[in-house]
Amino acid sequence: MRTPSIRSRIVRSAFAIAAAAGLAAGTAQAQEGEPVRLGAIYIMSGTASVYGQFAEQGLELAIEEINDAGGILGRPVEYELQDSQLKADVAIQAARKLVYQDGVHALMGIDSSGVAAGLVPTIPELNRSLIITHAATPDVTGKLCNRNTFRISVNINQNMKGAAMVAAETDAKRWTTIGPDYAFGHQSWEFFGNYLKEIDSSVELMDQTAFPRFGNEDFTPFINSVMDSDPDGVLISLWGGDLVNFVRQANNLGFFDKGFEVMMTVGAATEVLSALGKDMPEGVWLSTRYWFGAHDNPMNERFVEAYASKYGNPPSYNAEGAYAAVYAYKAAMEKAGSTDADKVIDALSGLTVMTPMGEVTFREGDHQATVGPTWGRTAGMNEKYGIRNLDPARTFDGRDVTPSVAETGCKM
Amino acid sequence: MESFAASLLNSLDIALLLFVIAVGLNIVFGVLNVINFAHGALYMLGAYFTFTIVNIWGLPYWPSLIIAPLAVAAVAIVIERVMLRYVYDRHITDSLLLTFALLLIIDDLVLMIWGPGIQVVEPPALLKGTFTVFGGRYPVYGLFVIFMGLVMVWGLWALFTKTRAGRIMRAASIDRDMAQTVGINVPMVLTGVFAFGAWIAAIGGVVAAPMRAIGPAMGDKIIIESFIVVVIGGLGSFPGTFLGAIVLGLIHGFGGRYLPDISLVLPYLGMALVLLLRPQGLMGGRGSA
Amino acid sequence: MKGSIPLVVMAAVLLALATLPYYVPYFYIFVATEVLIMGLLAGSYNLIFGYTGMLSFGHAAFFGFGAYITAMLLMHFEVPLLWAMIASMAGALVLAAIIGFFCVRLDEVYFAMLTLAFGMMVFAVALQWRSLTNGSDGISGFPLPEFGLGIDLTLADPMVYYYMVLVIVVLASAVLYLITRSPFGLMLKAISENPERVAFCGVNERRHRLIAFIIAGTFAGLSGALFAPFNRVANPDMVHWTQSAEPVLMTILGGAGYFMGPYFGAAVFVLLETWITSYTDQWMLFLGIVLALMVLFFRRGLLGTVLDRVMGR
Repeated sequence: MRTPSIRSRIVRSAFAIAAAAGLAAGTAQAQEGEPVRLGAIYIMSGTASVYGQFAEQGLELAIEEINDAGGILGRPVEYELQDSQLKADVAIQAARKLVYQDGVHALMGIDSSGVAAGLVPTIPELNRSLIITHAATPDVTGKLCNRNTFRISVNINQNMKGAAMVAAETDAKRWTTIGPDYAFGHQSWEFFGNYLKEIDSSVELMDQTAFPRFGNEDFTPFINSVMDSDPDGVLISLWGGDLVNFVRQANNLGFFDKGFEVMMTVGAATEVLSALGKDMPEGVWLSTRYWFGAHDNPMNERFVEAYASKYGNPPSYNAEGAYAAVYAYKAAMEKAGSTDADKVIDALSGLTVMTPMGEVTFREGDHQATVGPTWGRTAGMNEKYGIRNLDPARTFDGRDVTPSVAETGCKM
Repeated sequence: MESFAASLLNSLDIALLLFVIAVGLNIVFGVLNVINFAHGALYMLGAYFTFTIVNIWGLPYWPSLIIAPLAVAAVAIVIERVMLRYVYDRHITDSLLLTFALLLIIDDLVLMIWGPGIQVVEPPALLKGTFTVFGGRYPVYGLFVIFMGLVMVWGLWALFTKTRAGRIMRAASIDRDMAQTVGINVPMVLTGVFAFGAWIAAIGGVVAAPMRAIGPAMGDKIIIESFIVVVIGGLGSFPGTFLGAIVLGLIHGFGGRYLPDISLVLPYLGMALVLLLRPQGLMGGRGSA
Repeated sequence: MKGSIPLVVMAAVLLALATLPYYVPYFYIFVATEVLIMGLLAGSYNLIFGYTGMLSFGHAAFFGFGAYITAMLLMHFEVPLLWAMIASMAGALVLAAIIGFFCVRLDEVYFAMLTLAFGMMVFAVALQWRSLTNGSDGISGFPLPEFGLGIDLTLADPMVYYYMVLVIVVLASAVLYLITRSPFGLMLKAISENPERVAFCGVNERRHRLIAFIIAGTFAGLSGALFAPFNRVANPDMVHWTQSAEPVLMTILGGAGYFMGPYFGAAVFVLLETWITSYTDQWMLFLGIVLALMVLFFRRGLLGTVLDRVMGR
């Protein structure tokens, strides 16, 4: 059991002060010594709130470190967090509140594709930058892209390009999928299929696919139907509680003993691995947008150690995304010499910044960071954390898996 | 197609778990005339208590079958005494809103107490593993769910038809004033029935815990499913709830597989059709709780 | 004397709303816009709930349908907003006629459950008909067009949009109000209070309820048409049963017994949510407690309780 996190460092009264001062759009003057304020929007309630908790932990840790080292531009850093409730209209109103009422200098966060797709088109009007740290839909750095929106986390294209490269090296020729019945599940399958066909045109993408509804709980009928269709390889894009349910039920049905190549596109998420423990079978391919053991650099070493000692778990990808976004803002604001939104946006575009995943660059053409997923095969247990090890683990270079700007459909 | 038998069994275990959850909702409706929106939250509490008993206290699974439902029933007694009893005489919307408020409160309290993580409870050693039916594999735990469901069906049937407590409940559901005049302590019966409904929901939670991932708001999904079951079978009808659960179990067990494009619509379509053609439900008839 | 109190209060509220952008912080223009849109949704809902005594759990179907129609028309055809709104109302009217045709056959809990079933069917279609609705991501990224009729409005300016919403919501609400005061509206009230007697008098009760259902659905469609451009998105959340629960909560909060009750409830609901969520993640807990207290102690709603006192009911 845990005690609920209390956001002690936030100056809650800022709300009242801002209201009293009648703080209006764009009038937030950057004064010497005034705190740099970051506005974050994550899912903090309901089924998926574990993702919001991880993000807040990463955010908190980064801000603590930065404040201990003198802040940004010599100013202390604060954050204000709002619950997206996993609804686009709630997130949009939250962003307006953060900007106009709380006077934040920059925005970050967003956990789901649907929320991101709704929110992103409204960001330019708010005249702030947004760094997306989790939502993976290609559209927000594709056909919905805009000058204000950036993404530091791995998106579906990048993850599926890596998946296709892994899949092409296996013997599996007939592929099918089990994924949640919404944009994420369908897009994952579509991009995987396209990339795999590019590499090896002889593969067969089966018509028989399974898309159970999100939050289905009982996946037995879908597991049976995939087993009956006798594929060589199965791409699984279920996540969170759905994936935990799926793996346990699939174990029961002998799904993992059939000799399929199994690839789980969000399988190496720490909350899933620690819930499953030994129930996650050996020898399946798992992906994650960030794997704490896969990056050999001093910043990652420091991050993993500080996070694990503070929260008792290795950092998940969502913690890393939030952590990295804070450091990206630090770099951009220091490059711009200001917290002015326009200058920060200009500084972010094309910026190369050090994160736990190594150096990443926000591309000028679509503002997607050049990051790559880690795909690894499950091996023995990591006794310290009670989760499976990934061995071998293959981390893709962002430059190899990010499609060209022309392919994304982004027009700035 | 060798997995057809396994699919059928799977539909049956989904159905019987649904039955256990929905029947408590239906009893509470039948006797108290309250649609309990927080019923799914009580099911969730049952699962979380099991998690605490097994994973935190380190006790075996079996005692949780006794402890967790009693703990949830105790919570229900508090709810009934402090809030619910004041709205019995009002329009049904008042109790609906009150229990909706309760759902919000319990959901957030669970999040505060147990945190947002995904939790897993291991089934007891006796119920682990699988067996083979006509070439398809099927988990032993599924059989346990079916067994527990059938025990509940039999037990409730016996309770309503053979015992004095059951007759008192039925009397209270038909005419409260009359029951009062013939010497039944009606307020006590109502408290008892609400706690009983919660106790059954919690049994559903305990049974579900080892086979479903436990997480915040897990009761929100099940409450709408329970509405569907209760409506298809008939509001206030006990045998109807069983039939409704079987119908929805089959829709879930086969619909997603053979009719994926309309799998989401199917349960609601079934619910609407029953309401229009037989509003009293497939096994309808009021007051037969 | 007492009869003129509501008029004076109404005039004061309208004046306060008309001058609002000049004395509240900028963000509250957005809050006020949301309150007005939700107020219209709850106000339309009360025509079937408070006035006709039917508890519907599927009102979001018409709200969401209206939002989708406007979003799609703006996305694909860039029609003037006024025409999109009229199309949304027409679409919601047709949908409400179809769903209402079936639902008014039933009473009480059965009616509530049938509206829930139809509402969730619309949700399932919005989620699963991906080629048309873009599935879970919904329709977003559409441009804000001109208003229409040659009226030159910069709709992207939140203040302009607020005033447009204010005018439309006030006009629509005035129409709703006149309907409730018409012989038809009084008949609805009579149906909710004593359906047997009304039927006995030779009134086609079912037809009255159907017409009320259609009118309510049509205005819900209008509020959806205002909501989509406000948030630049239409998605399946707006059709889900949790969205249907909102007008119910707002109406109870404000009081179903008075015409302005739901509007007042919408204001309280939106403000509560805005304030509580800025102070704590546990907003559901506090909202739940407030709601429970309301049901237990202010069953006529906040506005209803106050007005009952003032009017001496």
